[in-house]
This record gives sequence, C-alpha cells and structure tokens, in this order.
Amino acid sequence: MRPFLQFLGTRLLRALVAVWLVSTVVFGVMRLSGDPVPLLLPPDAPRSEYARVAAELGLDRPLPVQYVIFLGNTLRGDFGRSLHFRAPAMEVVAGYLPATLELGLTSFAIAVIVAVPVGLLSAVKRNSLLDQSAMAVALVGQSAPTFFLGILFILLFSLKAGWLPTSGRGTLAHLVLPALTLGAFAMASIARLTRSAVLEVLRQDYVRTARAKGLAEWLVVAKHTLKNAAVPIVTITGLQFGGLLGGAVVTETVFAWPGIGRLAIQSIYSRDYPIVQAVVFLSALLFIVINLAVDVVYGLLDPRIRPR
Amino acid sequence: MSQLTRRELLKSAAVLGAAAATGPALGGTARAQTTQKRELVVAQGGDISTFDPHISTSSNDIRVSFNVFDNLTSRHADGKLYPGLATEWNLQEQTTWVFKIRQGVKWHTGEPFAAADAKWSLERTYDPAHKTRVNTVFTSIDRIEAPDPATLIIHTKKPDPLLPARLAFYGGQIVSKKYFDQVGADGFRAKPVGTGPVKFVSWTKDDRLVLEANADYWGGKPDFDRMILRAVPEMAPRVAALLKGEVDIITQLPPDQGERVNANASTRVAGALYAGLYVLAVNSKVKPLDNPLVKHALSLAIDRELIVKELWRGRGIVPSGPIAKGDNHFDASLPPLPYDPKEARERLKKAGYKNEEIFIETTSGYTANDKPMSEAIQAMWRDAGINCKVEVLEYSVRAQKNREKSFKGLWWSDPTSTLGDPDGMMWRLLGPGGPQDYWRHARWDELGNAARFSVDEKFRAQAYKEMTAIALEHFPWIPVIQPYEDYGLQKHVEWTPNPNQAFEIRKFNFRFRRA
Repeated sequence: MRPFLQFLGTRLLRALVAVWLVSTVVFGVMRLSGDPVPLLLPPDAPRSEYARVAAELGLDRPLPVQYVIFLGNTLRGDFGRSLHFRAPAMEVVAGYLPATLELGLTSFAIAVIVAVPVGLLSAVKRNSLLDQSAMAVALVGQSAPTFFLGILFILLFSLKAGWLPTSGRGTLAHLVLPALTLGAFAMASIARLTRSAVLEVLRQDYVRTARAKGLAEWLVVAKHTLKNAAVPIVTITGLQFGGLLGGAVVTETVFAWPGIGRLAIQSIYSRDYPIVQAVVFLSALLFIVINLAVDVVYGLLDPRIRPR
Repeated sequence: MSQLTRRELLKSAAVLGAAAATGPALGGTARAQTTQKRELVVAQGGDISTFDPHISTSSNDIRVSFNVFDNLTSRHADGKLYPGLATEWNLQEQTTWVFKIRQGVKWHTGEPFAAADAKWSLERTYDPAHKTRVNTVFTSIDRIEAPDPATLIIHTKKPDPLLPARLAFYGGQIVSKKYFDQVGADGFRAKPVGTGPVKFVSWTKDDRLVLEANADYWGGKPDFDRMILRAVPEMAPRVAALLKGEVDIITQLPPDQGERVNANASTRVAGALYAGLYVLAVNSKVKPLDNPLVKHALSLAIDRELIVKELWRGRGIVPSGPIAKGDNHFDASLPPLPYDPKEARERLKKAGYKNEEIFIETTSGYTANDKPMSEAIQAMWRDAGINCKVEVLEYSVRAQKNREKSFKGLWWSDPTSTLGDPDGMMWRLLGPGGPQDYWRHARWDELGNAARFSVDEKFRAQAYKEMTAIALEHFPWIPVIQPYEDYGLQKHVEWTPNPNQAFEIRKFNFRFRRA
C-alpha cells in the first residue's frame, strides 16, 4: 500500500505544479492580449469612465500585484467575479458544467461502445470488406474538422432528412448530433488503435499456443488477446477524453449547446479573465484526474506496471 | 453591430460548399404560410448578458430590454418618434421639456407606474452609486422634477433639441424604483420587472430566455402567448433552424445567405436600411493622411457600386456623405460618392504622394464583410497607384486601439445613428474628445457645437449642410456603404425590422398570419 500512496502523492504534487503553471500562463496571456474594459463600455465613453471601470474591476493595479492577488484568491478557491455576468466566476462555470458533462460523457460512451468492437472485429477479420470500410470511415472521422462535421450533420440529418433538431439542448434528440460530432474523432482514433493493438497481440507466441491447444477463436480473442491489448487502448481512451474537452469548444458553439466550452470561447473574446481562469483550472484538474485514473487502471491491467 | 457576427462570414464561406452539395433545403415542399402558433421563437447570435437595461448597450441585450421595458418615447421602424410612456412632450422654454406621463400603466408586478419612476430611472443612469454603462447618455440633463404622477419636467443645462430622441434609445428604458429597492441589484438582474409588452419567465444561460406576453400592456397584448429567445452563435445552424421551421425569426442574416432564405418555400428575408454607415475612419494626423488630396484619391479610387453588388449581393446603397440616409438633415440632393480612378491618380500627383504605405487595420468578421471589403479596396487602390497594406486585428485589440486612439491609418467603423440625427453619429464620434477625434477643423467644430445646442431646426439644417461639405473636403471618414440589416423570417410572421437594431415587438407591428 505504501508505494502506491507514494506514487499517488508524487502524482498529485506534479498535478498541482501543472495546474499552477497553466493558471499562470493563462493569467499572462489573457492580460497581454487585450483589455476587457473597452469591451464593457460604449465606444464613445470618456477617459474618466474608463478609469472608473478599470478601478472598479481592480485592473488599474500593476500586473505583479494583480498576480499575487490572483494566486492568493485561487488558493482560497476564489476565482473572482465574472466581468460579464457580475457573479462569482466558479459559480457561473459550475452552472455550465452539467451540459458539458452530459455531452462529453455521452460522446465518450458512444465512442468507446462503437470503437472497441469495431476495432476488434477489423483486426480479427483483417482485410475483409468490414475492416476496409470501417477504417475508411474512421479515416474520415479522424481527419474531418469538428466544425465541418457538425454543419454537415445538421444539413444532412436535420435539414434534409428532418430527423433531428438543428441545435439547442433539451430532449434526447437534441443530444444525438452534437454527441456524434464530438465523439467522431475519439471514435475514429480508438477504433484504429484498437485494431492495431489487437493485430499486434494476435501475432504473439502465446496466441499461437492458445490456438494450438485447440481453444475456440472467440476465447482466444476474448481471453488472451483483449486483455493484453488493453494498455494502449486505455491510454488512448484517456487521452481522447481530454481531447473531448477541447472539441467541446467547437461542438458546443456549432450546436448552441450551453456548456463550458462555449462559455470559454465567449469569455476569451470578451476578455472575461475570471471565467477563463476558472474554466482552465477546472479543465486542467479534470485532465489530471483522468490521467491519474488511467495510471491506476494500468496497474490493474498489468501487474508489471504496478508500483513496488 | 453585434459582437457575435465575428467569424461568421468566414465560416459561412466554408459551409456554403456543404450547403451547395446538399442542394436547396427542403427541396420544393411548399409549406403552409400560416400558423396556429402561440409561441414566437427568435434566434440571435449571442445570449444576453444582463437584464439590467442600464448596464449594457450590446445589440443582443437591447433586443430584450426594449421589449421588457418601455421608454418615454419610442422610435418606430419608419425612423420617427412616437409616444411611449410619455403621451406628449413640448419645449416650454429653451431648456425646459415637459412630458405628459401615460396614466393607467402598470408594472409587471401590478403596481402602478408614475412620473416619479421615470425621474428615478433617468437619474439612476448617471448616479455614480449605480455604476451604469450608460452614464454618458443624459449628460445634458441638469435636473428632473415629477410634480405629480402625470407630469415630468426635465431641465437641461443648455438647449437640447435631441432630448426626446435620447430618451428613445439605450439608457432611456424606464425601471421601477420600488421594485429595485425591494429586490436590490442582484435580484433585479435575476428577475427584471418593466412595463413592456413581454414579462420575464425564466432564463437558461446560453440556451433560452422565456418571456410571456403582458396581457395588460397599454399598447395591447402582442400576438403570441410566449416569446422564446434562443442564442445560436454560428450562422449556419441559425439559418438551418429557420429553414427547418424551428424558429420564426433569425437576426444578423449575412448577405450571402439571403438567396437561400428567399429560395426556401416557407421563409423570406426582411431588411431595414441600417441607421448608420460602414466607414473607413481615418487617422488624419499621420502622413500622408494629413493631406486632404490623398484622402480625395482614396475615396475616388473605391468602386463602391462593385462592393455593393459583389460583396453585399446588392443589400446596401452607396453613401453620399457622412450623414446616413433616413437621418435628420440628410441631404437627398447630394450624389453618391463617385468612383474615378483617373482623377484619383491626378490628385495623388498633385499631393506629391511618394508611395508611402497606407494601412487598413481590419477585424475579420466583426462587422459584416470587413475583411473582404478591405482586400477589395486594397486591390482597387493598388490599381490607382496607392500602396496599401491590410493588417488583421483581433477584436479586443481593436477595442484597445479605439480607446487609446492608436490606429495607424484607416480602420472600419460601423457607427449607429443612435438619435436619428447627425449629432448622435458624426458629431458623437468625430467631435472634439470623441472616440474618433483624429482630425480638427475650427469651422466644423464651431458648427457642430452650435447645432448640438440649438433648438432651431432651420439653423441646424444649414449647419449640417456646411459640415457635410467640409467633411467631404477633408474626409475624417471615408464612407463606403450603408447596408441593409437583414433578418430571416418565416412567411407566417408579419413584422418590420427597425433600422437601429432595437428589435421592437409590439401589437402594432407584429402579427402571426393565421389560417
């Protein structure tokens, strides 16, 4: 147990440093790249008005001072008040989180449920029509930009076929297109990787041995192949989950989905520092937790990786 | 223009290919052009940011606040002022305006509205304690009296001919003192109460705002039970939602989408000539733009007809000067700004232009067609022998340069005529100390000041005529186009858009066509 705790401790420490670095970079980049005050005021506002609003928001102080205040507040879990919503930033972000989780988890579930069996079948029935068509679709899924795919889905399935609503959140039907759009890339990557990982394992001696001792093919695949192919699959799956967070920015914008990705992009445009910082903090945290989970799952799958 | 038109044009280009591939939507299946709907659904490019009408001037916000709240005066789609919460008004002395306040009006809470509310509401806009974003709208007001519930008297510091016009636009929305005191600023923002034709029901941020019709509205209950406002940031899904019939009205329809909307059996385009202009503002302090002859050449070398035809699909007109068509004192006798590249070359020669670089700092998609127009103009200028460089700015950088007055040459501006008068547009922006104060001319300044504080419209007309002539000699702005503000509508919607983006939905101007 002790080595495991130690492993966890180091991981957490590294995670904290990562979150601090990310926050600092965001703090710097947001402030260097534009000033929120002119965006809050009518274009003909006088200079005195600018100064008043800047002071009201604490943006008139020197940057190092702002940074120290920012760090201190962040440590206390206070991300400041949104300049745009005039409410505590984390509260605003938390309000948008359920929509993103709903979309992200659905996409992820669809991606895994579709991709792993497809990848597995493609490997087992290598060079069959099924393999070739599945991999062709995967190539498209992996290379088409999310934006393009989303609009294409809307045109085909909403406008042409009339099956599904064009945008917005509400019923289950509203979830289908954005989840497919967001999940497409992950689905394609996981399917392709599953296929190559399984192919790799199928070439191993122990698979030949298993076959030689007369095991049924499905048992060879299910018992001897899948578990050994799982490590790379889990890795890419974990990474893809992080990728979904990034993809959410575009998908949520295209489908008018009220999640944190869309909130982030709007807040970047309006230079709403506190919101951007809170979103980045939360995303970094989520990403790190997933990586940690992947590491733990490794240990479960492969005793050789377990910390001693 | 709204901030949310940004990026859209670029993307629309990418999507057009896909649209073309799938052919005209809903191919030919003509739908009923009437409806039994009791719910009006509107999709705009961005969500509202606040319900407090004195905290924001963005077009997404005022589309809501001009319907939840009323103003004392109201500017209709025809550009004229009509009674709102004030039934009549007149100038008693040079600096005293008397407003008769409408009686029997109720707040959404059922409480009666009175002149004292209007007094408090207007004073609130410039009360530092309320930290509003509209505290510069009523700077001409000295003090306000509400001697009885039916009378409001406004004393101005100097004669202010445009006070009734100011009251019709942002800052002029009337809020309830009693309700505000009861619930405080946060409570007010969470659940606004006005006197307008729609009442607040619920708001899911970035998704939908639900409003219900005010059955007791003094102007009559509007022709629906509920109004839903959806935020759909991307243009392509917004147009798709209209074509599919999910929404009744979409805002910010780019010119290149108009044909699609008109080609669809159940939808149409409705536009209003924008109450404002798209201009290239000029930093006349830098060389060679300090030389009027160079600016003549810049203006003469722009083929505006071509820009209107190709980039705007005809959805715009060529301006004749710095006053928008439809405004007070617009001179209909002036010809559209001419295109004459040969004459442009002559003027450049006369000016001694030595191929100095001239910069256009443009955003990309912040205002419709900004980057494509910059590139087209760059090519036209090159043909006339002008060395122009186009630089693309991110929007917040543009806002910063705007504040610091640090543009290097020319940049796009799309001034809205907030008062239907040159004072609310060219003087507001180009006047001394204004946000585009890069050029001064003693006579122009003298006239602008005199016109601002004169209640003699004959004198004002003369002043603006002379100011226009000076502006066309010195070009502090190079006006390029006065476009249409287009909306996409279901054919079962009868509604005329307002040129100044106020998006007024009332019984008198909105109707569902019923079977």
